[in-house]
Amino acid sequence: MSDGTVPRSGVVIHKRARCRGCRICELVCSATHEGVSSSYLSRIHIEADDFAFLFPAVNCLQCRDPECYSACPRKDVALCIDERTGARFVDESECDGCGACAEACRLSVAPIWSKTEGGKTLFFKCDLCRDNEEGPQCVSMCPWGALQYVERAERERD
Amino acid sequence: MPDLGGWAGQILRVDLSSRETTAQETAEYVPDYIGGKGIATRIAWEELRPGTGPYSPDNLLMFMTGPFSGTLAPTSGKGQVCSVSPRTYPVPWFTYSGFGGNWTAELKYAGFDGIVVKGLAAGPSYLWVHDGEAELRDAEDLWGLDVFETQLALKERHGKGAQVICIGPGGENLVASATIHHRQKNCSGMPGFGAVMGGKKLKAIVIRGTGAIKIARPAEFVKACKEVRRLVHSGPTETPVRMNMTMTNLPCAHACPFGCTNMTKNIPYQASGAHVSRNLPVMCNAEAYEGGWRWYQYPTKDIEREYSGDIRTRAVEGLGKEAGDRLQVLIESKGLSGWTYLTLCCWFDACIDHGVSHIEGHKLEPHELDFWLDLFQKIADREGIGDLLADGLLRACEKLELPEVVKKTALWLEPMWGFPSHRDGRATEPQPSPLWIFDMLHWVIDSRDPLASHHQTGYIHCWFPPHFEGGSPLVDFAKLKATFDRAFGESGILDPGFEHLDAKARATKWFDDRAQLKDSLLLCDWVFPRVLRGFATAAELEAAEDYYGDVDAEAKMLAPLTGLDMDSADLDKTGDRIRNLDRALHIRNYDRSRTTDSVAEWVYEYPEKTDGTKLDRTLFDRILDSYYRSRGWDPQCGRPTRATLGDLGLKDVADELESLGKLGQSS
Repeated sequence: MSDGTVPRSGVVIHKRARCRGCRICELVCSATHEGVSSSYLSRIHIEADDFAFLFPAVNCLQCRDPECYSACPRKDVALCIDERTGARFVDESECDGCGACAEACRLSVAPIWSKTEGGKTLFFKCDLCRDNEEGPQCVSMCPWGALQYVERAERERD
Repeated sequence: MPDLGGWAGQILRVDLSSRETTAQETAEYVPDYIGGKGIATRIAWEELRPGTGPYSPDNLLMFMTGPFSGTLAPTSGKGQVCSVSPRTYPVPWFTYSGFGGNWTAELKYAGFDGIVVKGLAAGPSYLWVHDGEAELRDAEDLWGLDVFETQLALKERHGKGAQVICIGPGGENLVASATIHHRQKNCSGMPGFGAVMGGKKLKAIVIRGTGAIKIARPAEFVKACKEVRRLVHSGPTETPVRMNMTMTNLPCAHACPFGCTNMTKNIPYQASGAHVSRNLPVMCNAEAYEGGWRWYQYPTKDIEREYSGDIRTRAVEGLGKEAGDRLQVLIESKGLSGWTYLTLCCWFDACIDHGVSHIEGHKLEPHELDFWLDLFQKIADREGIGDLLADGLLRACEKLELPEVVKKTALWLEPMWGFPSHRDGRATEPQPSPLWIFDMLHWVIDSRDPLASHHQTGYIHCWFPPHFEGGSPLVDFAKLKATFDRAFGESGILDPGFEHLDAKARATKWFDDRAQLKDSLLLCDWVFPRVLRGFATAAELEAAEDYYGDVDAEAKMLAPLTGLDMDSADLDKTGDRIRNLDRALHIRNYDRSRTTDSVAEWVYEYPEKTDGTKLDRTLFDRILDSYYRSRGWDPQCGRPTRATLGDLGLKDVADELESLGKLGQSS
């Protein structure tokens, strides 16, 4: 942003204790964003351990000070901030595939992944379904109430 | 099939004898056979020759997915296994089994619509499939491990995200009821396909897939999945109103939004030094282990005497919670089916009631935990009495000197195809008229316990008035009947008794066609098809004009997923085609006929245990005539006619049956 501050963003919160590992979030995400069914092309990953019955998720926290955004050499062109939701998102048509965003992420497993399209490497991450008026699709389809969408306005009050 | 969504496009063929793996185009079978059981049955028709036994190198062991597998379609996590079963009685024959979990989806992501295994491995082996590649690996170090130890060892080797199916000692030692196990709680149980794996020396199949399944029209597909989920709303058919699900209700399969099993519990289990807390939703038979299982019991002693004469079966008293849990863990970890415990428990009680206190010198103590722990260890190891019972109750009875009534009780408990009685209104649960007629017909023409694919008719009783066990006080029976009238376009289907037999037969046929379909697409048996819809609240149920769901739900999801223009009529015809092909396979390979179908008619001469309705031979034959007519089969022999097969695109099948003199004749 021109004044150097980054606006707050909404966020999808995963409640581990409620998650039952059905993977519906991954399936609706990959269908919506990529037009396919695939865990690996989803913007949220459930790391299911069928023997421990723990279902932690890897998903973007839409940080207050997003390292991914700061690290992007083409900030506001390739890694952008959505005006409506505040989502830190990758404009795939502009991504050069350098991976600086994923490297900069402070989470132990970065919720920013790469894919290859037409011989070109692109990075992708959660964009809070910024183009969808219904909001994040994973939240709307989670059967267990394990995903919650906290909107930008609410986080701004923090 | 580069232009179609849904299918991965290839079927993996594995020959364990030559160690060769090849890939075959799924397009050879699609869309005529859809997937799952449909494709497996077509492969069996083409390649499984008469006389092939369960342990023959020529027996095919097929693990199949369907177009919905791995997608957002609700409850699409089910997998299908087809093979010649060692359990089916009196002859081992081709049958099927399903299992939940994540393995099926992973197989699709690895690029395969199914795995067809033939041959015998030279030594213990496992198959490692990852992103289009497959290799056979040595499993000497895994042989002998239980199903949990095996999975943990393979996940250690191939990563936590790898999905494993495997067998335990039961399968290795060719126990006829051995399971193929997956995760903590999913298994292909009844037909003993674990023994087929064991015979092939195939300990496990491990899958890792990172690929994607194409969706023809993604936005429309997502919308259809949402609508179907809204329609089901309450979960499976047996709950008119949404159940109050607790946090222990984990969905049993990938992409299931319902988590319907209502008897889950945690049983601690120790495997490979690691403490594993098990969550074990086994529904019905969880209750049986610990007690509270009343299915085998008649409502009163008077009714029991009047109804079943000499045949006496007592309710399974169970062993109490702690002992029941211990037995359950033992049976499952060894890779055995828990249903064996149920019928053996009832049968041992009957033995004692009729003065048989020992079998092969082994004292019967069916109310003692130690007796059971010892017995199932022996069954898994095929030791002593365990060796005898490992071939199944009925085969054991053939070898034993026992009073006739004791042998007859065994048949009463396992009246058809060597499978435990299930929802026939007699030995196990109540099933008021006319529902038991539907299920009787499913039993009569199927190749195993048909309830694996017929909970939809099996559980309509939950919508019946409350004086039927499991009935609901909230449901208006007149509205329920009207719902069926609307769905089928004719009346009388749910009228108790034996009126409107043709309408009842046509409805049964439709449910059976849809059963073939859901085992091929693949979708959960408890949820599809949706003649009925679920309700969120009792008030919503009471306010409803009728309870109609949407029988087009499957088609509405399939078209945008695949891009194929298939409506419900096309899907019904596909189900009909799969059933007829299965019938033809059984006619060609096992000489299946009306005589075979009628083998357990005697069971239905005993009254249904709550309403007293029963058959005599004439009535049984009338019902069978109606059913064969609804299917376009020759009532004389119960075999499809050329016209029926021709209409379904099965001319080649008609030609082969005719050359064998086994084609039905048109009247």
